[in-house]
Amino acid sequence: MGRLVLERLSLSYAARSGAFLALSNLDFAVEDGEFVTIVGPSGCGKSTLLMLIAALLSPTSGTVRLDGRPVTAPGPDRALVFQDFALLPWRTVLANVELGLELKGVPISERGAIARRHIAMVGLAAFERSYPHQLSGGMRQRVGIARALAVEPQVLLMDEPFGALDAQIRQVMGSELLKIWERGRKTILFVTHDIDEAIYLADRIVVMSASPGRVIADIKVTLPRPRPLEIRNDPVFTAYRQRIWDLLAEQVLASNTWEQPAVAARA
Amino acid sequence: MAIATELPAEAAQPRRSLVSARTAVGVAAVALFLAAWQIVGANEIVRSDLISYPSEVAQTLIQMAASGELGANAIVSLQEFLQGFIPAILIGVAAGTAFGLSARLHALFEPLIVMLNTSPIIAFVPVVVVWFGVGTQSKAIMVFLAAVIPIVINTVTGITEVHESWVRACRAFGAKQPQVIAKAILPGALPAVMVGIRLSVGRAVVGLIAAEMYVSVRGIGRLIQVYSTSDRAAEIFVLVTVVSSFGFLMVTLLRRIETWLAPWSLER
Repeated sequence: MGRLVLERLSLSYAARSGAFLALSNLDFAVEDGEFVTIVGPSGCGKSTLLMLIAALLSPTSGTVRLDGRPVTAPGPDRALVFQDFALLPWRTVLANVELGLELKGVPISERGAIARRHIAMVGLAAFERSYPHQLSGGMRQRVGIARALAVEPQVLLMDEPFGALDAQIRQVMGSELLKIWERGRKTILFVTHDIDEAIYLADRIVVMSASPGRVIADIKVTLPRPRPLEIRNDPVFTAYRQRIWDLLAEQVLASNTWEQPAVAARA
Repeated sequence: MAIATELPAEAAQPRRSLVSARTAVGVAAVALFLAAWQIVGANEIVRSDLISYPSEVAQTLIQMAASGELGANAIVSLQEFLQGFIPAILIGVAAGTAFGLSARLHALFEPLIVMLNTSPIIAFVPVVVVWFGVGTQSKAIMVFLAAVIPIVINTVTGITEVHESWVRACRAFGAKQPQVIAKAILPGALPAVMVGIRLSVGRAVVGLIAAEMYVSVRGIGRLIQVYSTSDRAAEIFVLVTVVSSFGFLMVTLLRRIETWLAPWSLER
């Protein structure tokens, strides 16, 4: 199971000019096995939201529930994949994937087999003895994904996981992630600022406002699966892109910054 | 299919030949220096009893080794070195780890560390001899004092500069603080700790020889002191060569251990 519910979740920081409201009253659910993406302008707190769900940060008010139980501490039931990969450079691919298993308390005799199975799943079977510095960015993030999946989490939390990769690798990684997900149907909450990526992957897209982050739209994506990369040129896809772009453009203009959400060549 | 577009970043390989080229240049420079010294000394261009020359130094080395004088004293110095150096590593790494993890503790001890680091360690020799006697104990203490400070300082740096993402990765999977220390902080600090140990070798050797020269019964420093009062340049050069070769070997060995323990630190 892996049903994630956010109940009136707010977070404020103490700033020099008083309390700064980062996230305001987030209230939504991610169903078991659902792939939900979150898009929003830079600084809207979408990554912070994942930190709250992971319980690496505590909310000012509200609750995160996983299968009905409130989340209070970090744990392997919610595995994170980070934009900067966050691999341990002194560990091989195999040992990096075993990290979560060690912390989860999986017996040493079982770790190797579980880790190898997940390394094979992300296509790195030939590289289990390599160190992260010997791998390309895309391969490093495969390790990050294998490490997260190996602990068999109820929810996979992905924080702009492909943000550090170049455009082609990024698309390939997205399509491979979908293949892996379609086999296991794990609940995924995926943060991105790339609108195309958000549509391509999602069952549902949560659009967030500029600071303070609120949910301004919750869009169901009805594109059929499995999705080929060319689906980006489908008229239904471009209609989603236009709709989300319009929602975000308002936010970007309202928040009065120069930053634009990334959108690949508007059709 | 996807992997074909992403090659591993392993490609760069010219390092080995670069290293050997550097070694060749180093060997050539030393050879040139030795040749010039031989010519100047052996031909009495400068008085050879003052500067000696390589072939005389080599002969003297063989004599001193054959008579057992060199070996017996070298063993004493080596024992003193290890008796000070090994505790310096253990205590230096432990103290550095504590200071690196606790800002309060670090604030408390930092002035002391900075003062010890900048003070001429040799000036402690008379005091240490008064406290610990003229035997091996006072020499080990000098080695310890000289070596421990760079180890502490580098360990603190290593711990405080551990990458935030390594800690975050462990926390995200539910690691408690002791696990974060064991799995992220200590291994992440290891390269800096090794640098500290390497840097402390030179200081420890200088501290040891200075203490032996000040007062001792046996040891390489004692021999240097004896031969310097009798104007024997060749013997002194032999002894200095033995000492510096030891330092060179130690540093080379530590570098090896470093690349073996933390191959990743060179590639980031």
